[in-house]
Amino acid sequence: MLSIEAVTVAFTRRRDPVLRDVCLDLAPGEQVLVLGSSGAGKSTLLQLVSGVIPHSVVATVDGTVTVGGVDTRDTTVVELSRTVGLLAQDPASGVCLPTVEEEVALPLENRAVDPAAISGRIDTALAAAGVGHLRERRTARLSGGEGQRVSLAAALVAEPAVLLLDEPTSMLDSAGVAAVRSAIASSVARYAPAVILVEHRLDEFAGRAGLDALPGRSIVLDAAGAVAADGPTREVLSVHGRDLIAAGCWLPLESELDAVFGGRSGAAPSHTGLSSPGVRAGLLEFAGATEIASPVLAATELAAPVLAATGLAVSRERRPRRTREPRRPRRGRDARPEPFAPVLAGVDLEVRPGEIVALLGANGAGKSTLLLTLAGLLPPAAGTVVGARPGMVFQNPEHQFVAHTVAGEIGFGLAPGPATDALVARLLDDHGLAHLAQQHPHRLSGGEKRRVSVAAMLAHGRAVLLADEPTFALDRRATIGVTSALRAAATDGTAVVFSSHDLRTVATLADRAVVIAEGGVVADGPVFDVLRDASALESASIELPALVEWLLQNAGSDAGVRRALLRLDEQVPADRPAVGQTAAVPSTVAS
Amino acid sequence: MTVTDSALARRNPTVKFALLFAVSVALLFVFDPFTSAALYVIALVAVIASSGIRPRALLLGHLPFVGVAVGLVLVNALSRPGVEVVRFGVLRVTEEGLEVGAALGLRTLVIGVLSLGFIVSTDGVRLMTSLHEHARLGLRVTYAVLAGYRTLEELPREWQLIRHAHAVRAGVDRRGRPRGGLGAFGRAAFALLVVSLRRAERLAIALESRGLGLSPRTTWRPVALTATDGVFAAGVIAVVGGVITASAAFGALRGAEVLAG
Amino acid sequence: MWKRLTLKDLVLVAVLGTVLGFLYWALVQAWTALSVLMGPAGDLAQHFLLGGWLIVAPIAVAIVRKPFVGVIAEILASIVEVVFLGSAVGPLLIVAAAIQGAGSELPFALTRYRRFGWAVYALSGLCGAGFVFFYSAFRSGWYGQDLFLLRLVVQLVSGIVLGGLLAKVVVDGLAKTGVVDNFAIGRELARKG
Ligand SMILES: Nc1ncnc2c1ncn2[C@@H]1O[C@H](COP(=O)(O)OP(=O)(O)OP(=O)(O)O)[C@@H](O)[C@H]1O
Ligand SMILES: Nc1ncnc2c1ncn2[C@@H]1O[C@H](COP(=O)(O)OP(=O)(O)OP(=O)(O)O)[C@@H](O)[C@H]1O
Ligand SMILES: [Mg+2]
Ligand SMILES: [Mg+2]
Repeated sequence: MLSIEAVTVAFTRRRDPVLRDVCLDLAPGEQVLVLGSSGAGKSTLLQLVSGVIPHSVVATVDGTVTVGGVDTRDTTVVELSRTVGLLAQDPASGVCLPTVEEEVALPLENRAVDPAAISGRIDTALAAAGVGHLRERRTARLSGGEGQRVSLAAALVAEPAVLLLDEPTSMLDSAGVAAVRSAIASSVARYAPAVILVEHRLDEFAGRAGLDALPGRSIVLDAAGAVAADGPTREVLSVHGRDLIAAGCWLPLESELDAVFGGRSGAAPSHTGLSSPGVRAGLLEFAGATEIASPVLAATELAAPVLAATGLAVSRERRPRRTREPRRPRRGRDARPEPFAPVLAGVDLEVRPGEIVALLGANGAGKSTLLLTLAGLLPPAAGTVVGARPGMVFQNPEHQFVAHTVAGEIGFGLAPGPATDALVARLLDDHGLAHLAQQHPHRLSGGEKRRVSVAAMLAHGRAVLLADEPTFALDRRATIGVTSALRAAATDGTAVVFSSHDLRTVATLADRAVVIAEGGVVADGPVFDVLRDASALESASIELPALVEWLLQNAGSDAGVRRALLRLDEQVPADRPAVGQTAAVPSTVAS
Repeated sequence: MTVTDSALARRNPTVKFALLFAVSVALLFVFDPFTSAALYVIALVAVIASSGIRPRALLLGHLPFVGVAVGLVLVNALSRPGVEVVRFGVLRVTEEGLEVGAALGLRTLVIGVLSLGFIVSTDGVRLMTSLHEHARLGLRVTYAVLAGYRTLEELPREWQLIRHAHAVRAGVDRRGRPRGGLGAFGRAAFALLVVSLRRAERLAIALESRGLGLSPRTTWRPVALTATDGVFAAGVIAVVGGVITASAAFGALRGAEVLAG
Repeated sequence: MWKRLTLKDLVLVAVLGTVLGFLYWALVQAWTALSVLMGPAGDLAQHFLLGGWLIVAPIAVAIVRKPFVGVIAEILASIVEVVFLGSAVGPLLIVAAAIQGAGSELPFALTRYRRFGWAVYALSGLCGAGFVFFYSAFRSGWYGQDLFLLRLVVQLVSGIVLGGLLAKVVVDGLAKTGVVDNFAIGRELARKG
């Protein structure tokens, strides 16, 4: 079906190759999971198979890639599309046509499917991805999560013999992840395609079924882009678990726990993950490691709020918009004249110095809109926001970049002078960016871009820092880097508010959680109380990760839950002095 | 998309586009007010009757090109040498100026109202599909334009997002609002360009990896091209041709020579 | 060197046209306010920005470096504007676009798409503005006006600055970000090292 023989890929502007003599054979109907830290070359591998490399993306390729018996070099991406379906990273930006149904119809039209049959197949594909209700919608009005699922439907609809899925769940809430999982499962059941899956959020993707929900085979790409392991998923994960954790990859919970607590007596092979006594003992031991300073919200209630919203209603729509711009009479045509309704209403929120507030909610619930309003960037539809001018870190760092060098980016907006230079230098060191100071921000890797955007905002030393999904699409090391940076900022007295779909990160970082759903705040309180509030999570269709759930029940104290999670994060060695790691957790406990 | 159904909406988009184009070009060579005036009245009636456009939309739609028309009349009236009609201080209005200005203004109105009828009765995506089917517009060009349209739809959102992202770190003025200015506009504009070009590359890859350009291909919802469209085209051409010949017969028709004065 | 335009090139060019068209529109909004204040002279004021309307072609040519890219870029941009923004100018916009595209591309074509120095960009802006001027002069009946020469000079200068030199600034900036690495310009720069 697919065979990659000793392939080495190098990009023109990088000295060392991204992939080194990679070998991979895929039988029809075989499924493989690609593991590797950020920058390991996972996406590059998929682009190689789809022919995007070398046809659309300039790179030197040694070795041969054959798909369905054809060398990808001798054909085109278009021809390859007969056999290969690609769901690229950040798929929402790969939506090409103005309406959802046209988008899904395109692959069928291109394959000369009988027009009479197309409509039916659109319905099945959309239904499989759990977005059947969006068929008539304009693609421009989809939220990020919805767009991602529509792209999945478009990738599945033509039933390609080889499916390439690059992080299909990156921006989805728990419900979305479940929908994607079942969509992939159903097409696998229907016509047994070969699948190559790249995924960071393995634990959520696997869901309750654990390892069994993942492809049966896994390959591991090491930092140098070579294949470090290739075999049955369970075996690969159990043999290489520790290395993968050290490399900063996310793992399915079961494998992570076995790797961390492996070799402990009592870990009978039948019992793995949370069901293993050894693992439970280990987790409780972590939870009891009292010597860890466990930063759970303490005296901060006493401090006066630095940012307070009262009776706040938020919305994107600015009413006059409808009637303006007469020179473009068709602008209004798809803006359905629905009565003006705010996304959220009646929000009362107080943020105090040094506390970290997590903002939880389903896709499209209004997290970003609320953050933008708190930042004073969107006018409140009702109510007031009072307090110091907040700083904000946006979901896509590229939207923030203004300068031609990382150093310039971090110094932007500050009065030039020795003080600023010193500050910039310090931030560059703290965030492990010193070696990139003169790089162009747009040329960095995803994780590096994120660290730059955080550092650049911290440079302004605002009393409140807002962050919209700051750990989105990051590998575990990068995630820890960002969370510890936020923790460090909080320890210095900054109030932090961040939105996230990753509840493990929330449980590790936040002091307080605010759940928004049904157009308002449904829960607001100490993070662990909120995470125990089943009905609130239910209404926001939030599903607790197994680990957090177990710890909440068994760790004894909230501080214990936090300690256990921090100790698990410590198993990932920081590749560079990541700021705050030490501030949050005395290094004396490193086992 | 919600293009309300109407006699005009049921006509083939390519035919409408071609006619609009032909009429616009023909009018390029008409420089007298009377022909244009006649055509404007006819066009106005025809558009109202055939497109079922709401009066409000009709008026709003007029705003931009009426503005242009007025500008044309003014500047020509004031800036053409010739027989003086009135004079306010340095400014003097000439007869030739008024005539040419009126002609150009009215021409703008004709093209404007026709474009308006075209816009309210035509769905852009159907037009592109039809141009590909009936006017042999290349598949890749067709979808490139559609990709452009996708970008266009995302632009307001992206632009707002970028302006916000930049405003957060910008200095504030006395009223506490982020400082704007040309520099800020430039930085945001460049960021928009970068983000959009990234998107463009992804769009192209998505289109190709979905098999755009494979042959044979089918069209899910082909655009109809019927005999009625032929009749429609013939009718429009007849009317326009008729008016021009008539005004020529009455000696009203004037060509580009008036510019020479 | 009749290299065929790939889908990637065409999409890039269409998106370029759309984005720059949008930005030009945004800029004109601000400017119009000013030109209204200038009364009858406002009709003249719009010429100062005209160069901004030319910038698409040189940028597209500099990135893709294939024949006719400039013309195609302008045409696609105008199609998007006419078809989806419903410009009141109607399809004639496409004619204007083709003409100015040809003008802007000419200097690059003369160097066989090899030289991209300041001079070539400036020339590009000059030709673009020059070509389209005589067309719009005919369309809007500027011939025989007292202002004729003044209009010409203003537009040519605007063409050189906004439609030429500014284009080079933008292109160099884009090249630094790496978004155009996979186009002709990226390969060129990579080869130069
Ligand atoms: N067109 C390109 N030119 C130069 N370098 C590139 C290009 N594309 C990717 N890279 C670099 O190659 C490396 C691998 O990129 P790739 O996207 O495959 O990583 P990845 O494993 O998908 O990471 P992530 O999990 O963050 O998506 C990264 O360091 C990236 O910066
Ligand atoms: N630029 C925009 N213009 C109009 N409506 C928008 C815009 N962006 C988002 N929306 C709508 O506003 C609502 C809230 O969007 P918002 O982005 O705040 O949700 P979110 O909670 O951030 O979702 P996600 O978790 O996917 O980021 C959604 O229904 C969305 O469709
Ligand atoms: Mg990737
Ligand atoms: Mg959001």
